[in-house]
Amino acid sequence: MDHHGETTPAGRSCKSSKDLLVQIGGPPVYWKSVDELQNGPRVTGEFPGGLPGGATSGPRAETTRRDFLALMGFSLAAAGLSGCRAPVQHAVPLLVGSDQIVPGVSNYYATTCRGCASSCSLLVKQRDGRPIKIDGNAESSLFGGGTCAGGQATVLSLYDDGRLKGPLWQGKSATWNEIDGHILQALNDAQTAQKSVVLLSGTMTSPSTRAIVAEWGRSNPRFRHVEYDPVSLSAMRQANKESFGQAAVPHYSFDKAKVIVGLDADFLGTWLSPVEFARQYASSRKPEKNAALHIQFEPGMSVTGSNADVRVPVAPSQLGATAIALLRRIAHKAGTSGPDQSADPVDSARLDAVAEALWKHRGESLVVSGSNEVAVQMVVNAINALLGNIGKTIDLARPSRQRNGDDAAVAQLVEEMALGHVGVLVLYGVNPVYDYPDSQAFAAGLKKVALSVSLNDRSDETGALVNAICPDHHFLEAWGDAEPVESNFSLAQPLIAPLFETRAAQDSLLRWMGREGEQSNYYTYLREYWRKDIFPRQKELPSFEVFWDQSLQRGVVTLASAGGAAPGPIHGGWQEAANKITQSAKAAPQGNSNSYELHFYESVALRDGRQANNPWLQELPDPISKVTWSNYAAIAPALAAQLKLENGDVVALKAGEKQVELPVFIQPGQEGRTISIALGYGRTAAGKVAENVGVNVFPLTALAAGQRRLSAVNASLASTGGKKPLASTQTHFSMEGRPIVLETSLDELEKESEKPEALPTLWAERLQGEHSWGMAIDMNACNGCSACVIACQAENNVPVVGKDQIERIRIMHWIRIDQYYSGPAENPVSVHQPMMCQHCQNAPCETVCPVLATTTSSEGLNAQVYNRCIGTRYCANNCPYKVRRFNWYNYTDNPKFDFNMESPLGRMVLNPDVVVRSRGVMEKCSMCVQRIQLGKNLALQGGRPLADGDIQTACQQSCPTQAIVFGDLKDPNSRVSQLQRSQRNYQVLEDLGTRPNVGYLKKVRNPMERS
Amino acid sequence: MSSSTMTAEPLHLEKPELQVLPPPVWVDGGPSLAQITDDIAHPMEARPGKGWWICFGIAFAALLNLGGMVTYLIANGIGVWGLNNSVGWAFDITNFVFWIGIGHAGTLISAILLLFRQQWRTSINRSAEAMTLFAVACAAMFPGIHMGRPWLAHFIFPYFPNQRGPLWVNFRSPLVWDVVAISTYGTISLVFWYLGLVPDLATLRDRAQGKIKKFIFGLLSLGWNGSHRTWSRYEITSLILAGLATPLVLSVHSIVSMDFATSLLPGWHTTIFPPYFVAGAIYSGFGMVMTLLIITRQTMHLERYITVRHLDKMAKVTMLTGMIVSYAYATEFFSAWYSGNIYERAHFINRATGPYAWCFYLMVLCNVITPHFLWTKKARTTVWFLFIVSILINIGMWFERFVIIVVSLHRAFLPSGWGMFYPTKVDIGILVGSFGLFFTLFLLFIRVLPMIAMWEIKNVASHTVDHKMAHGVGGEQNKEVIRA
Repeated sequence: MDHHGETTPAGRSCKSSKDLLVQIGGPPVYWKSVDELQNGPRVTGEFPGGLPGGATSGPRAETTRRDFLALMGFSLAAAGLSGCRAPVQHAVPLLVGSDQIVPGVSNYYATTCRGCASSCSLLVKQRDGRPIKIDGNAESSLFGGGTCAGGQATVLSLYDDGRLKGPLWQGKSATWNEIDGHILQALNDAQTAQKSVVLLSGTMTSPSTRAIVAEWGRSNPRFRHVEYDPVSLSAMRQANKESFGQAAVPHYSFDKAKVIVGLDADFLGTWLSPVEFARQYASSRKPEKNAALHIQFEPGMSVTGSNADVRVPVAPSQLGATAIALLRRIAHKAGTSGPDQSADPVDSARLDAVAEALWKHRGESLVVSGSNEVAVQMVVNAINALLGNIGKTIDLARPSRQRNGDDAAVAQLVEEMALGHVGVLVLYGVNPVYDYPDSQAFAAGLKKVALSVSLNDRSDETGALVNAICPDHHFLEAWGDAEPVESNFSLAQPLIAPLFETRAAQDSLLRWMGREGEQSNYYTYLREYWRKDIFPRQKELPSFEVFWDQSLQRGVVTLASAGGAAPGPIHGGWQEAANKITQSAKAAPQGNSNSYELHFYESVALRDGRQANNPWLQELPDPISKVTWSNYAAIAPALAAQLKLENGDVVALKAGEKQVELPVFIQPGQEGRTISIALGYGRTAAGKVAENVGVNVFPLTALAAGQRRLSAVNASLASTGGKKPLASTQTHFSMEGRPIVLETSLDELEKESEKPEALPTLWAERLQGEHSWGMAIDMNACNGCSACVIACQAENNVPVVGKDQIERIRIMHWIRIDQYYSGPAENPVSVHQPMMCQHCQNAPCETVCPVLATTTSSEGLNAQVYNRCIGTRYCANNCPYKVRRFNWYNYTDNPKFDFNMESPLGRMVLNPDVVVRSRGVMEKCSMCVQRIQLGKNLALQGGRPLADGDIQTACQQSCPTQAIVFGDLKDPNSRVSQLQRSQRNYQVLEDLGTRPNVGYLKKVRNPMERS
Repeated sequence: MSSSTMTAEPLHLEKPELQVLPPPVWVDGGPSLAQITDDIAHPMEARPGKGWWICFGIAFAALLNLGGMVTYLIANGIGVWGLNNSVGWAFDITNFVFWIGIGHAGTLISAILLLFRQQWRTSINRSAEAMTLFAVACAAMFPGIHMGRPWLAHFIFPYFPNQRGPLWVNFRSPLVWDVVAISTYGTISLVFWYLGLVPDLATLRDRAQGKIKKFIFGLLSLGWNGSHRTWSRYEITSLILAGLATPLVLSVHSIVSMDFATSLLPGWHTTIFPPYFVAGAIYSGFGMVMTLLIITRQTMHLERYITVRHLDKMAKVTMLTGMIVSYAYATEFFSAWYSGNIYERAHFINRATGPYAWCFYLMVLCNVITPHFLWTKKARTTVWFLFIVSILINIGMWFERFVIIVVSLHRAFLPSGWGMFYPTKVDIGILVGSFGLFFTLFLLFIRVLPMIAMWEIKNVASHTVDHKMAHGVGGEQNKEVIRA
C-alpha cells in the first residue's frame, strides 16, 4: 500500500498553513485533504475544536508520564501480540457473496464423469467455490454411489499445471477470435478445395454433442465424424453387426448371471464400464444368496482374474481356440453341430466343467470376451446365443454407448490424410500421435492436412503437431450430458468458473459450424436439445423448467427405451468364424525358444494414459503387482527362473520392427510364455509429472483385419543387463500361514451357524461415550479396484511422495489394499485386503507414545494429535498392522516434491476440513473424523438423533461394491453391528489382543463342483 | 541313667595360623609417590605429542562431520536417513543403545568394584568413568535427533508448571522411563566422577604454575585441604554414592531394554531382555574400556600404571559377560521354538536365514566365539591380541543392537508391510560422527584432567603397601586375610 502522502511530516513542510496544523517543535500533524491543509480542520457542531481526547488536538499533545507509561505498555503488548500471529498467506476476498456459497459449508452438485467414456454419474463436493471431491451419484441406477480410482482423481486433473491457459495458434497464444477466423477460413478453403472436414473424437456419449455433430454433417456434406478409442471394442461391434445385424456394444447384466465366464475381459478393472460391472458382480456374488460362479481365462493377472473362482492362464493367441472349445461343448449339449474338432488349448476336463456349469445355468449365464478379433466375438456370440443369454444377461435392445470407436474408420482416415484429402481435422479428446499403432503415419498425415485443430486441454503429443489448440474446459467447468446406456441419461453442470481461458468444445464446434452469439452457446443448445428431444419422452412433469431443474439436481434421467426391437436369432456365420480361427492358429508360424507373446492391457490407474499427468494415479499401486510410477514386463515365475531374471532387470522386447526396453516384474499367475505390459505410460508431452514415467507400448500394437490388436506374437526377449528398480508398495505376497485373510467356503458357511467366541482379554473394558465407531470390511465384495485409496487421498490431503520415496517404502496412503497369493506360483489364488488403521481398543501404538500424541477417544477412534506428536515413530514400530505413516520430509511447498501440493493451483484440491501435516509427525487413518464431526453437527442442528448411514467415510462412499461399511458399534441395529455379529466376521491378528474396531468378513470360496 | 565310660579325648584345638598376604601391587616398577604424581600430571603439563595430535585430528574431523550431518538432518527431516514405513528405527536407536551400553563399564568399575574392594580398579576407574560420561553424552544425542520434530523434544519431559493444557507425558511409555533413567544415570555418573576428581584437582592446584590455572583448579577443588576430617568424610561420601550408583548399573540398561520388551513385536517382546541387556552392556563397556586403555597406555606411556594384569582382569570380566550374552542368544532361539508362537518362530528363522543373516552371524562371531579365545592366560596378557578382541566386541555389540532393532522391524506381523532398511550416507556419517564426539571428548579429557586417580593409585603402589605393612595400618581394604 502506498501511503507516502500521509507519511510526509506535513506539519513541518507547510509552515504557511493554519496554526492548528502547524506546531513547530511539537509532534507532526497529519492532514487529511488539501482542503484541510488550507482551511484547517473542519469544525463541526458536535465537537467544536476537533474530536475530544485526540493526541493531535492542540494543547493536549503534551505527553504526560501516565500517557507515556500507558503508551509504552500498549506498544510493548502490541509488538508482542503481533508476533503471536501466524502469517496469513492467501485470503479469499468475498466482496460480493454468493447466496449459494457459505464459507465452510459444502455444496454437492450432480454431474457426469469424463475421465473415460464410461460416463459415470457423479455427485461432486464443492467447498468455497471449488470442487474438491468426486463421488458417485447414488441416484444412478447404473453406477450407484461408487466410483473408480481414475474417476476419483479427475478432480486433481482439474487443477493440473499441465493444462493450457488459453488457446494456441501455431504454438503461440492467440485470442479466440483470431483462431476462429483462421479455422472458419480453413473450413471455407476446404469447401472450395473439395477436401473433407473430419472430426476425430473419442467415444462420444453426449447425445447433445452428437446432435451438434449430426447438424454439422447435415450442413456440410464433406464433414465426417470418426470415433477413435485407443482401446476399442470395435471388433465386438462388427461381430454384433454380423451376428445380430446391430453394430452395437450390448449392455451386460452381471447381476443376473449365475455363471460368468470371462475371456480376457477385465470387466472389474478397466473393461467397458467397470464401476457398473463391479457393482453388479458384487451383488451376484453375495454368499448369502447362492453366489455366482466366475471362471476367467486370461494371459496376465487382472483385477477380474484375481477375483475369479477359477482362473485359467491362456496365451492371447489361444483365446479364440478356448472360445471354440467352449462353443463345441455347448453346441454338443444343445444338440447342434459345433465347430470342427480341434485340440483344446487348456485342460479339457476344466473346459468340460465350465461348459457343464454354463449349460446348467443357461439363460442366466454370461460369457464376455475382451478380444478385438471379430471372429472370436462371433464365436462368443454363438455361445451366448446357444445358452439363451441374449436378451437376458446381454441386452442389445438397450445397448451401451460407452465404446463407439471404429478401428477401420480410423485406419481409413489415416490413409486419406496421407493422400492429402483432408482439409480440416478436428481432434477432440484423442491423442493419436501418442496412442495410434503407427503414430508416425498419423503424424505424417497430419502434416498434409491443411488445418488441424486439437480441442485437448494440453499441448500433448498430438498437440505439438497441430496448427491450433482450442482447449476444452475440464468437465468440472463445463455443461454437458451423457447417455452411457441407451435412454439412461446423465447431466453435467459446471462446479467452478473456468480456471483458464478455455472454451467448451461444443462452443467451438457450434462456432465453426457458422453459428454466432447466443446460437453458439452450448448451454443454450443443451437446454434446447433437452427441451426438444428428452423432455417430450417423459410423462411425469408437465413443465420443462421443472423437469430441467429436477434433472439437473438429480443428475440422472432414465427413460423408457426409445425403441429398437430386440435382436432376432443369431445369424449364421459363426461356423466360418470358428474355422477361420482354427485355420489361422494352424497357419501361425511355430515359435522357437525365443518367441513370446506380448499382451497389452490398460492399467487400473492410468488406463489409456489420458490422465498420466495426475500424480495421484501415478502413485496408485497397481491392484495386482503393487508397482507404482512405471509399467513393466510381467513375466511368469517359471520363465523368470529359466532366464535368470529378477524384478527390475531391464529386458528388450521386440515385436516386428518395434522394440521397447522395460523392467521385468515376476507376476504369479502370468501365462508361461506371455509377457503382459500396461498401456498408458511413456507420455512425453502430458506434463512434468508424466515425464520419464514408463514406456509407451502403443507402437507395439498393430492393426489386423482392420481391428486394433492388443497383443503380438513372435516377440523376442533379450536381457539388456540393465537394472531399473520398480517402486512397489508391497514386496512379499505370502501370508506365511498367519491369520490375516481368513477364508471359508459356501459349504462351510452353511454348516457353521455360530460365530466363534471372542478371545478372552485381561484388559479392562474401556469406558466409552455415546458412540463407538467401527467398520466391517467384506473381503468377498472387495475386488481390489483401489478407488478407496484415491478417495482417501483426496479426502484427507494425503501427499504424493514420488517414485524415489516409494522405493524407500515411504508411501503416505492411509488405506492400502494388501494382495496375497496362495497356491502354486503358476496359477495362484489371490485375495485383496483393504488395510487401514484398525482403531484398536487396546492400541499398541497408544501405550508407547511418550507424549500422548495418540489416544483412543471416547468414541472408539484411535486419534492422532499432530500438534502433540514429536515423531519418535515408536507407535509405527509397535503397530502390528503397519498402517502408520510418518512425514519423513515436508511434502507440501517443498520443491523436492514437485507434485500437486507444491503448486498453488494443485493445492486448490485440498480439503479445508483436514489439516495438512508438516514434517516430523505421524499420521494415519482417522476414520474421516471430520465427516463424523460434520454428521454429528448436522444431526444436532436438525434436532434429530444420528441415524445409521448419516456418516460415510470416504473409502466407504467410493466403493462400488459396498465392501466397506462404517457405523456405530454401540447401535445394535446399525449395519456395521449386524455385520460384525455375522458368522463371517473376524479380526486381523485377533490373537494379539489389540481388539480392533475394524472387523473383516471372511472371503468365501465358491468351489466349482457346486455349480 | 547310667554313667558309662566315655572316652573323652582332649579336643585339639589348633589355633589357625593367620597369614597376612602381601597386598596386591597394581603399579609396576615401584615409583615413589612424587613420581606417580609427576607421571600422571605429565600429560596435562607438557605439550601433547604427535600421537595425540593425530588422534585428535581424526576425532575432531569426525566431530565436525557429525555437526554437519546433524544440521543437514534437522534442516531436511528424518527422510535423509534410510528409515521407512517398515523400519522406523535403525541406526539412530542402535547407536543410542550401543553408547548407553558402553557407559556401563564405568559405573560398574567405579561403584560395584569399589563395593567389592577390587583394588585393580584404581588405575582404570577415572578414565572408565569419563568414558561413561562421554558415552552417555553420545547416547543422549540420539533420542533428541531421532525425533521428527526435535525442537519439541522438551515435550518428553514431565515439565512443571505444565503450560500445555491438561496433557502431561505418558508414563506408560518406556521412552519416558528412558528419559528418567538416563538423566539419573548421567547425573550420578557426573557427580561420582567429579567427586573422585576433587583430591586430584587439589593436587593440580598445588602444582599449577600459572595464576589462571591455579584459580580454575582452586575453584574446582572446592577448597580441598587434605585434612584427616576431609578424607574421612570424603571416603564415606564415596561409599554412599557407590551404593546409590550400584542399582543404576542394573536399572539403566534394564529400562532401555524395556523400549523393546514392552512392545508386542516378535524379537522385541521377550522377558529375558533386562538381564540380557545388562550383561551385554557390561560386555561392550569392558570392550570399549580395553580399547581406550590399550591406546592411552601406549600413547601416554602409562604402562606402569595400567598393567597387563589390569588387562587380564578386564578380559576375565569380558569372558564372563560374553558367555552370559551367548546364553541369552541361545535362550531367545529356544523360547521362540518352544513357545510355538508362529510370529516368534518366523522372526528367529528370519534372523538366522533372512536378508540380514550376515549381521546375525557377524554378531555371533564377535560375541559368542571371540570370548572363548580368552581362556588362556597367554591370550589375556597379549596386548595386541586383546586390542583386536576389544574391537571385535565393539563391532559385535553394535551389530547385536542392529539385529534386534532392524531385523525385528523389517519383517513384522503383516507380510504386506515387510521391507528392507538400507543406511544412507547420513546414517553412516552420524555413526562415525558419534565416535568423533566420543573420542574428541576423551582426548581432551586426558589432556586437561588426570586420567588416573592419583590419590587412589597411591594406595596400591608398592611404596604405600610396604609402608602400611610395616606399620600395620591401613584400611581393611588393603588387606586380604585368608584362613590358611
